[in-house]
Amino acid sequence: MAGASSIQLHRHGSPRRATAESPVAKAILIAITLVFFALFLFLPLVVVFQEAFSKGLALFVRTFQDSYTQDAIKLTLLVAAIAVPLNTVFGLAAAWSLTRFRFTGRSFLVTLIDLPLWVSPVVGGLIYVLVFGAKGWFGPWLIDHNFRIIFAVPGIVLATVFVTFPFVARGLIPLMEAQGIKEEEAALTLGANGWQIFRRVTLPKIKWGLLYGVILCNARAMGEFGAVSVVSGHIRGKTNTMPLHIEILYNEYQFAAAFAVASLLALLALVTLFIKTYAEWRTEKQLLEAARDQHP
Amino acid sequence: MSITIQNVTKRFSRFPALDNVSIEIASGELIALLGPSGSGKTTLLRIIAGLEFPDDGGSIQFNGHDVSRLSAYKRKAGFVFQHYALFAHMNVLENIVFALRVMPRRMRPTEDAIRTRAKELLEAVQLTGFERRMPSQLSGGQRQRVAFARALAIEPAVLLLDEPFGALDARVRKDLRRWLRAFHERIKLTTIFVTHDQDEAFEVADRVVLIDKGVIQQIGAPADVRAAPANAFVSNFLDIPPRV
Repeated sequence: MAGASSIQLHRHGSPRRATAESPVAKAILIAITLVFFALFLFLPLVVVFQEAFSKGLALFVRTFQDSYTQDAIKLTLLVAAIAVPLNTVFGLAAAWSLTRFRFTGRSFLVTLIDLPLWVSPVVGGLIYVLVFGAKGWFGPWLIDHNFRIIFAVPGIVLATVFVTFPFVARGLIPLMEAQGIKEEEAALTLGANGWQIFRRVTLPKIKWGLLYGVILCNARAMGEFGAVSVVSGHIRGKTNTMPLHIEILYNEYQFAAAFAVASLLALLALVTLFIKTYAEWRTEKQLLEAARDQHP
Repeated sequence: MSITIQNVTKRFSRFPALDNVSIEIASGELIALLGPSGSGKTTLLRIIAGLEFPDDGGSIQFNGHDVSRLSAYKRKAGFVFQHYALFAHMNVLENIVFALRVMPRRMRPTEDAIRTRAKELLEAVQLTGFERRMPSQLSGGQRQRVAFARALAIEPAVLLLDEPFGALDARVRKDLRRWLRAFHERIKLTTIFVTHDQDEAFEVADRVVLIDKGVIQQIGAPADVRAAPANAFVSNFLDIPPRV
């Protein structure tokens, strides 16, 4: 309890330290930050919505009645519906094994999880073209057996899974590391099996960290452009996701329509931000509790 | 239940935490594993519980049955952790009945039976009225007793305690020591507890096992060990001048 309340105090205004900036410097720094936020974050968001309705509500509605737009939204939802659960399971398994077991190569694996974050998404897409494309390793075999991966939905799902892989695991690893395994061991000595331990002990402890990861994973899955663009082939009504559809509309000078679809993605971002902030706050609380339980 | 520990060795990487340890524990005995930190006493306790497994060649027997390869969740040894490891998101009642709730359906008691059992356990550890409290709202001594009740819920054949009083202040420690001894007299459950505090070991235990660097230095009743330390480590650790 003491830990939590001291953090709260800290948030509501820390006492003036000897090294604190002068009021003037403080005002300038805050002003710079605010201007930056307004110009680069808030204004673009306003513009997206303003442009979306620039040709009136009728065109906005008509954009979403268009079958290509609807197909793009459906495909984006389908891809997220496959990639997010997959990466939730992968992320949980990765976080579990990386925090619960000590083995050689462990720290290398922890680093490797981040690979999709530091490699350009385009490269992520190209990898799959190289492996599954017509001239790739499995290309001829796939063509012989009439499987389409590249320029088809499976390729888009694969590229999305690749790009969104790190989010769940990264959210969970520090949390599970801090919490340790004492409660799980206690459950084990009390006769709980693996699934019961996960369901009744681990999951309640990590649920906010998990939600945080899933929400970020979902936002990226729905918004991914680069990797998907490489493997999609941009076939309207078939392999166009929302971000790709926006690009096509924009390139065809249908600005209002492009912004209308973009506003939907922006809305998703806002909802994500809201849930993320809440989950982050709850995760922080769980981390604090973990720290306190380790050193009672 | 009697416990036989036979030639147990445990290596983490290359350094042996336990080196060929054998102990016979009679049913209903209260044993203290005493030694400095890093001596391997906690590792031994974890091996008995099934949280660690001995290297090849060693075995743990409960009533003559080899349980060496049995996982902790099938061994039914009541374990009380050093920092209690209470489930932080469950209240006292949920903590205590956890073991009953995770039983396979055909063995699980009815809701009424679970409630009755919880009431008995809370009475046994003098925590009646604390059912709805969360672990974070309890004092160290109270948490310790919840951990006790939780371990007893499985009706364990053996009770394993890892530094049970280690994190408590001196006065509470004394009370709990006496309480543990009285509790043991009442139900005669085979009990093994780990401690680095010799007063604790000598006041509570029937027999004391002194361990250093993974090797047993001496086993005996407190009075015998005090009267005749087996070697320099024991006399040093207990601060008794060796007899020549």
